Amino acid sequence: MRKATRIVAITLALMAAACSSSNSRTTSPGGGTTKLTVFAASSLTGAFTQIGIDFEASNSGTTVDFNFGSSTDLAAQIASEGTADVFASASGKAMDAVQAKPGVTGRTDFATNQLVIVTPANDPGGVSSMQDLTKPDVKLVLAAVGVPVGDYARQALTNAGILDAATANVVSDEQDDASVLAKVASGEADAGIVYTSDVSTAASSGTHVRSVDIPAALNVTATYPIAVVTGATRSAAAQAFVAYVTGSSGQATLKTFGFGPPPAG
Amino acid sequence: MPLDVAVTVRRGTFAVDVAFSAQDGETVALLGPNGAGKSTVVEALAGLVPLEAGHVRLDGVSIDALPPERRPIGIAFQDALLFPHLSVLENVAFPLRARGTRADPARADALEILGELAPRVRTDTKPADLSGGERQRVALARALVTKPRLLLLDEPLAAVDVSGGPELRALLRQTLATFEGPRVLVTHDPVEATTLADRIVVLEDGRVTQTGTPSQIRAAPRTRYAADLVGVNLFVGSLRPGEAGAGDLDTADGTVTVPWPDGIRRNPIDDVIATLAAADIALHAERPEGSPRNVLHGPIEEIAILGDRARVRVRTSPLLVAEVTTGSVERLHLETGIDVWASFKAVEVHLVVPTAPPDTL
Amino acid sequence: MRRALPLPFTVLAILGAGFVVLPVVALVIRVPWGEARHALEGVGASTAFRLSLEVSLAATAISVVVGIPLAWTLARITFPGRSVLRAMVVLPVVLPPVVGGLGLLEALGRGGVVGRWLYSALGIQLTFTTAGAIVATTFVAMPLIVLATESGLRSIDLRYERAGAALGGSPWYVMRRVTLPMIAPQLAAGAVLTWARALGEFGATITFAGNLAGRTQTLPLAVYQARETDPGGAVLLSLILVALSLVVLIALRGRLAEAR
Repeated sequence: MRKATRIVAITLALMAAACSSSNSRTTSPGGGTTKLTVFAASSLTGAFTQIGIDFEASNSGTTVDFNFGSSTDLAAQIASEGTADVFASASGKAMDAVQAKPGVTGRTDFATNQLVIVTPANDPGGVSSMQDLTKPDVKLVLAAVGVPVGDYARQALTNAGILDAATANVVSDEQDDASVLAKVASGEADAGIVYTSDVSTAASSGTHVRSVDIPAALNVTATYPIAVVTGATRSAAAQAFVAYVTGSSGQATLKTFGFGPPPAG
Repeated sequence: MPLDVAVTVRRGTFAVDVAFSAQDGETVALLGPNGAGKSTVVEALAGLVPLEAGHVRLDGVSIDALPPERRPIGIAFQDALLFPHLSVLENVAFPLRARGTRADPARADALEILGELAPRVRTDTKPADLSGGERQRVALARALVTKPRLLLLDEPLAAVDVSGGPELRALLRQTLATFEGPRVLVTHDPVEATTLADRIVVLEDGRVTQTGTPSQIRAAPRTRYAADLVGVNLFVGSLRPGEAGAGDLDTADGTVTVPWPDGIRRNPIDDVIATLAAADIALHAERPEGSPRNVLHGPIEEIAILGDRARVRVRTSPLLVAEVTTGSVERLHLETGIDVWASFKAVEVHLVVPTAPPDTL
Repeated sequence: MRRALPLPFTVLAILGAGFVVLPVVALVIRVPWGEARHALEGVGASTAFRLSLEVSLAATAISVVVGIPLAWTLARITFPGRSVLRAMVVLPVVLPPVVGGLGLLEALGRGGVVGRWLYSALGIQLTFTTAGAIVATTFVAMPLIVLATESGLRSIDLRYERAGAALGGSPWYVMRRVTLPMIAPQLAAGAVLTWARALGEFGATITFAGNLAGRTQTLPLAVYQARETDPGGAVLLSLILVALSLVVLIALRGRLAEAR
């Protein structure tokens, strides 16, 4: 009986140790590698991966781990788990949520993005303008309500006065811009609305889509804020990362990936 | 001839080559040890396996090209094989329904025959709730419900316990007596064959080794198996002159002293068959004194109790099967494994010298 | 007399049970019971529920009608390539569902190998439709009824089928009146498992059929979408799914693992 009790005690102790060791960032900084956790909107996937490589190259001893996803999703995760050091969002609303809980420091707008209509290369739906999105039988794919690019898209459609007509043509509510792009690139959807940066990314990865511009007057500018999350254990490295993104190298990379500069002032 | 069978069926490397016939009202038993090919013959008659060669003819018409459902055969299987999910009544009605009879007439016929063969069995019960004997009765009813031309019984008494046996055997005899067509009974039990069949076809290793009435086979068994069945020891070998008017029969597993046959010159003779009744062998705990010329010694391999008699198989040279009373078994403390002495007189051995033609039917 | 298992076994068993039960219990605890009705409306619960039933039952029906003959052929007929075909039929069980969805896109999408013919000749596009959701769900669920049927056919004593034939049954009659009834319990359990898998299907559906309320947004997809906008609603939707599945599994009462 005693031997069995010992086995149970050891098992429980091992499990407790395993649980605590996952919080590796609570181990002492300064000795060994610094691991930085960055949550970023999925539209930043290409640009930030490159920035991460460059940052690690110029800051040896630091590794950057990314978690890409829908900004709203990520904000909710940070609010409940609080595991990010840096948050880069595609919408001010999502950043507002994190600012409310658990709080942020050093919030800066670092890039902008605009919307563009994409269609498969052979344009099966005959979409060449925003108005064409209301044509009957056009299969339109948008990101879901609540996902930043989905909200922006619906805002642009409202600007054009065609929200209801276009909504009638929506065949799928996707979880992020990458999924919208995929549905269009595969030829299944006739049209989708994504960020202009997505089109650059697509081109560089060999995915063929055709873009249709949205008139500037109707377009929506998405402003991307970045900030250090309060409670980040690697605040020094986090601040350095934010500085890199807003600095010249980061900005240059973002530009190559199709992003616009942050709003002046 | 109502039933005329001459089939060759291949089972992998094993070929079964059997020919026999049966008259109306005649029961032919296919008797043989397990693995002899009896089930294969049943399957060939039923149409479940293709023939490599040969034919099956009923009333002169070939049925071997017909699928099972078109053959006018009723079959009762070993282990009854009543469908577990159907009631007794549905089981018996199955052959009729399978051939297109409508539900009500099929049920009526099934009830009628169940009333004759299994009156005490409740028709709405499932087979799992029946005893072995009851199941065989139902199986028999199922075999006969279509009023078939040929009746096939596959080891009908095999799955029945000791207490149910005699009653079922009586029922079978009665049923067979009233069935007008030819019947084929497949069994490994010589008692079953002897009590139910008019003629026995002995099957060993896929071949017919002997056919005849039960008494004919008893009188002159041609193989060791047949001899074992009827309680006779069979020796086959070469005969050479021995001492003082006797002969020595050299068999594959030992030598037996026999009387020299009358009127035959005292020269070595090949292919001699000799029989010795099991009952003519005496068993002893110690080497016996006295006149018997054949005294052998060896361990007991098997003891089979048959009523008040016992068949004792002893691994002597040659192998012997002795028949003694169960009293002797007790008195001598006979059991498998222990050594025992067996003796018999030379004159008890009956020789069949190869001038007589083989016994066939 | 029931003997207790050794203590370490019991401890591990308790841990395992706790691990499995905890998420469900947590869901129940976190449900916003107060605003339940409102939250359910917000996330389109009734539409998703109806659609889930429609899609899962249709997928189960197709799986049964197609899967049983397929299983029969695999179990009883030898032909070259049989073991390869059997492996491929079972593949969707081990494949990540999204991979299945991608495969379906390449095959049956508007630009797919077969899909392009469907589109150009018949004007049919399966993606973004309820029919497409049914196709995706059938793809992942059918292997379960095939496996159950094959297993049932193997467990049956062949002598009964031969007896049925010898007693006058044509192959079709024997199948109908002997074999099928004898494996009916296994078929039923297989159909229920198929339906349960169909009900929970997510990855292939969202990849092939997309996500639109009322057309392709089944309960699992609704949960996935709701968790961003309305976590309380997502929890409620999840509980509906859990309750549905539990009802069915309890009704089966352990017969899932029964061997015959």
